Amino acid sequence: MRSHTTRLPAVFIGPGLLVLAVLALVPTVFAIAISLQDRELGQADTGWVWFSNYVQLFSDRRFLNSVRVSLVWEVLTVSATMALAVLMGTLMHRCATPRWRQVLSMLFIVPVLLPRVSAAFVWKFAFHPLFGLITWPYKAITGEPLDLFADPVLALLTVAFVDVWQWGLFFGVIVLKLLETLPPQPFEAARLDHAKTWEVYAYVALPMLKAPLISLAFVKMVESLRAFDLIYVMTRGGPGISTETLDMYAFSQGFIESGRISYASSMAVLMMVASTVAFTYIWKWTKPS
Amino acid sequence: MKKLAIGTLLARLALIAAGLSALVPVLWTFLNSFKNRVDIVSAVPKFFFTPTLDNYLYVLNREAVAAGLVNSIVVAGAAVIIGAVLGLPAAYALARYPLRWGNDIQFFVLSMRFLPPVAVAIPLMVIWLQLELYDSRTALIATYTLLTLSTVIWLAIPAFKAVPKEVEEAGRVDGYGPYAIFFRIALPIAARSLVGAIAFGFVLVWNEFLIALMLTTSEAKTLPIVASELSQLGRDVPWGILNASVILLSLPPLLMVGVLSGFLNAAFKRKREAE
Amino acid sequence: MNPVASLSPEPKMSAIRCHHLIKRYGETQVVHAFDLDVADNEFVVFLGPSGCGKSTILRMLAGLEDISGGDLHIGGQRVNDLPPQERGIAMVFQNYALYPHMTVRDNIAFGLKRLKVPKAEIDSRIKEVSDTLGLERYLQRKPTELSGGQQQRVAIARAMIKTPKVFLFDEPLSNLDAKLRNHMRIEIAKLHQTLKTTTVYVTHDQHEAMTLADRIVLLRDGRIEQVGTPQEIFERPRSAFVAGFIGTPPMNLMEMAVHGLDGGQCELRGGGGSVRVDARRFALEGRARVTLGVRPAHLHLDTTRANGEGFAGEVQLIEYLGNEVLVSVGQGGEEIAVLLPSAAGPRLGEPLRFVADAQQVHLFDVATGASLLRPDAVLH
Repeated sequence: MRSHTTRLPAVFIGPGLLVLAVLALVPTVFAIAISLQDRELGQADTGWVWFSNYVQLFSDRRFLNSVRVSLVWEVLTVSATMALAVLMGTLMHRCATPRWRQVLSMLFIVPVLLPRVSAAFVWKFAFHPLFGLITWPYKAITGEPLDLFADPVLALLTVAFVDVWQWGLFFGVIVLKLLETLPPQPFEAARLDHAKTWEVYAYVALPMLKAPLISLAFVKMVESLRAFDLIYVMTRGGPGISTETLDMYAFSQGFIESGRISYASSMAVLMMVASTVAFTYIWKWTKPS
Repeated sequence: MKKLAIGTLLARLALIAAGLSALVPVLWTFLNSFKNRVDIVSAVPKFFFTPTLDNYLYVLNREAVAAGLVNSIVVAGAAVIIGAVLGLPAAYALARYPLRWGNDIQFFVLSMRFLPPVAVAIPLMVIWLQLELYDSRTALIATYTLLTLSTVIWLAIPAFKAVPKEVEEAGRVDGYGPYAIFFRIALPIAARSLVGAIAFGFVLVWNEFLIALMLTTSEAKTLPIVASELSQLGRDVPWGILNASVILLSLPPLLMVGVLSGFLNAAFKRKREAE
Repeated sequence: MNPVASLSPEPKMSAIRCHHLIKRYGETQVVHAFDLDVADNEFVVFLGPSGCGKSTILRMLAGLEDISGGDLHIGGQRVNDLPPQERGIAMVFQNYALYPHMTVRDNIAFGLKRLKVPKAEIDSRIKEVSDTLGLERYLQRKPTELSGGQQQRVAIARAMIKTPKVFLFDEPLSNLDAKLRNHMRIEIAKLHQTLKTTTVYVTHDQHEAMTLADRIVLLRDGRIEQVGTPQEIFERPRSAFVAGFIGTPPMNLMEMAVHGLDGGQCELRGGGGSVRVDARRFALEGRARVTLGVRPAHLHLDTTRANGEGFAGEVQLIEYLGNEVLVSVGQGGEEIAVLLPSAAGPRLGEPLRFVADAQQVHLFDVATGASLLRPDAVLH
C-alpha cells in the first residue's frame, strides 16, 4: 500500500502496453478486414465480398484436411510430449544421482534451443533414406533404403517425433525440477505403506503436481501451433497433403500458390478465434482465482 | 532386491539413450560440417575422414549468409532491447502495484502468445506492403517486439514478485522514492532471473522462421531463412554446406544453455523456498 | 521538518500522538479508533495475538500503510500525509529486510547516502554504530554470509545510524532461536538505556513485552484491551482476555455461581470447589454468576480442612519445570492448573485438595469479561 498515489504504474506500464496493443490489435483488425475482401497479392483493386471466403472454406476439402491434420498433430504431440516428459522426469528423479541430473538437465535443454529449422535439418538428414545415420542400420540389414517421408502416416509421425524430441526432453527437465520441489514426507509415508516405486509416483507425486503439469500441457498446446517451421523444412506438407497443417495451408494460399491473401486471411482469422476461445477457456479453467 | 536393480539399470540405460539422442544428432551434424561432400553421401556413415574447412568458408563467404547473419543479429538484438526497456518496468509495475485491471492486462499479454504466427504474419504482410516497409529490418523489429515484449513481461513478473516486499519497504523507510526503489533495489535483486527471461526472448526471436519468411524477400532475410534456402540449390544438395550453415545458425542459442539452465534453477529454487 | 536537521543532536520532541486512528481495507475495518500518547524516550510495546492489528498500526506509524481515519502526530507535527522518510522514524523489520546485493557497510549507509551527508561524516557514523553493535568485522560481507543474529544487528545499525525521533520494531526477534532471542532482547534493552530514543515495539511474546516495556498496549481485534505498565497489567487486568493472556503459566478462568452474598463475605461455587472472597472489593450486586480468575501460583495445597472452602480433584497431568511442577487437577470435566514446589511431589491419579489465595483472585463479568475489581481495592 502506498501513502502517496504515485504515477509509477502508469509511467511504467503505459508505453509497453500501448506498443503491445497497437502491435496486436492492428494486425487483428486488418486480418478481419482483409478476410472480408477478395484481395490478391500484386493486384491493386479489391472488393468487399463479406463472408464468401468463409463460406468457401467449409466446402474446401483441402482446408478440412488441414484442420484434421492440425488436430491430429495437436493431440499427438501434446500427449507424446507430456508422456515423455513425465517418464524422463521421474526416471531422473528416481534413478539418477544429483551429478547425473545436472548433466542430463543441461543436455536435455539443447534440443529445444535449436531453431526449429536446425532441428528439422538435423533429423531430416539423420532420417535420409540414403545417407542417414538412423536409417543406416535398416539399410545394412535389409539392403533397402528406408524412406520415412514417402508414407503419409510415417511422415507425420516422423515430424511429430522431432517436435516431441525438442519439447519432451526439455519438459522432462522441468518435471524433474518440479519433483524436486516436493516435500519428501508423503513419499516416505507411502513407502512405509509398502507402496511400490511406480505406485508412489503415480499415486502420490504426480497428483501433487497436477496444476503445473496442466500448465505445461497448455504451453505445449500453444507451441504445437508453431510447428510450421518443422513441417515446412521436413516435408513441405507432403507427401501430398498428409502433413499439411492449417498454418501450412494458409501460408501456401497466401504466399506461394496464388497470393490469395484474403482467402488465407479468413483462415488466419478462424485460427485466431479458435485458439483465443480455446485458450481463454482453458486458462480460466486452470486458474479458478 | 534384484528386481529393483534391473529396473534401475533399465532406467539408467533409457536415460543415457535419451541424453545421447539429445546430443548425437547435433554432434553428427557438427561432424558432417567438416566433411567433403563425398564423405557425406557415402552409403555407410563415415566416422573417419579428412576434415575440411571448405564448407564453412563457403558459407561465411556468401554474401547472403553474411547479410543474413547481420540481419538476424540486428533484428533480434533490437527487438530484445526494446522488449526489455519497455517490458521490465511494466512487469515490475504489474507485479508490485495491485491495479484494477492488473489481471486483465496480464491475460492480454499472455494471450499474445496464443496467436498463431501465420495469423499475425498475413495481415502484417499487407500492412508493411502498404507502408512500403516490406522486406525491411524495421518491419521485422517492430513485429518481433510483439514477441519479445510479451515474453519479457510474462517471465519477469514472477521474478519481481520474488523480491521480498520488506526489502523494498526498508528502501522506502530509508527515504527512496518508487522509481529509485525499482532501479536500485528491485532490479539488482531480480537480475539473474531477468537475464534469463531476456535470454529466452532472444532465443525465441533468433529461431523464428515463419514470420521472417513471410515478411522478407531479399533485403532483410534472417539467418534461418538463408539457411533453409541453401537446401534448395538445385538437385545436387550441398550437404556439407548445409550442415555448416545449420551449425552456424544454432550457435548463438546454444551458447545460452548455461544462462537458461541457471534461470530454470533459480526459478525452481524460488518455488522450493516458497513451499 | 528538515530531515537533515534531525541528524543533529538537539533535544528532540519525540512524542507520538495517535488520535482515533482507523484502518480500513475496502469494507473491512481492522483498526478501531486507536488512541495513544507515547511520551518522550518511552519504550512502548504493542502486544497481542496474531491478527490483532499491532503490525498494522506500526506500519501506519511508519507510513507504510495509509491511515484511513484519525490523526497521527510525531514530534508535534501531523504526519498523516508524509512519506516515511519525512516522519523521522527508522524501522527494524521482522525478516531484517537487508539489501542482499549490498555489503553490510552499504546496507547501513544506504539511507544516509540519499541525504547527501558528507562522506567523512558517513564513515565516522558507521564506525560509531558498528562499534556499538560489534559489527566491525562484518562490514565488507554480504548479508547472506551472516548469521540470523548478526543480520538483526545490521538491521538495527541501519536504523540507528539515522538518529531518528522514533524507533519502530516489527517483531524483530521472532526469527531467532530461543537462546539468541534472550541475548538480543538484553542488547535491545541496553541500547534503549544508552540512546533513550522513543521506541514502539511490536511482539506477540509476552515475555519480551514484560521485560522490555515501560508501558504495554495489549490489543485484540483492532481494539485496545488495556494500556499500562507491565505491573499494572499483570496485577490489575482489566478483562478476562488480558488476565488470560499475560502471565505464564496462564491464569485459570472458570465460571462460578455466586452464593451467600451478605455485605462482607461471599462464597463462589463451581469448578469442583469453592472460594470465599471479600465482597467489598468487587462489584457483585445483582450477579448470579461470575468468571473467577486465579493464577496457578496462587493456589496452595490444603492440608488443614477436610470440608469447607477449597477445591478437590485428581491429578491428571504433571509438567516438571525444575523448581516447580505444574499440576493439572481435574474434577468432573473441569481442569485447574496448580503450581507447586517440586518437593510436594504429587503423583498421577492422586487426589489433591487446594485453596485459592483470596487476596489474589480476580472476578470478571461472565458475558463481557470485564474486571469486577473495584478501582480502590487494595492488592498485595
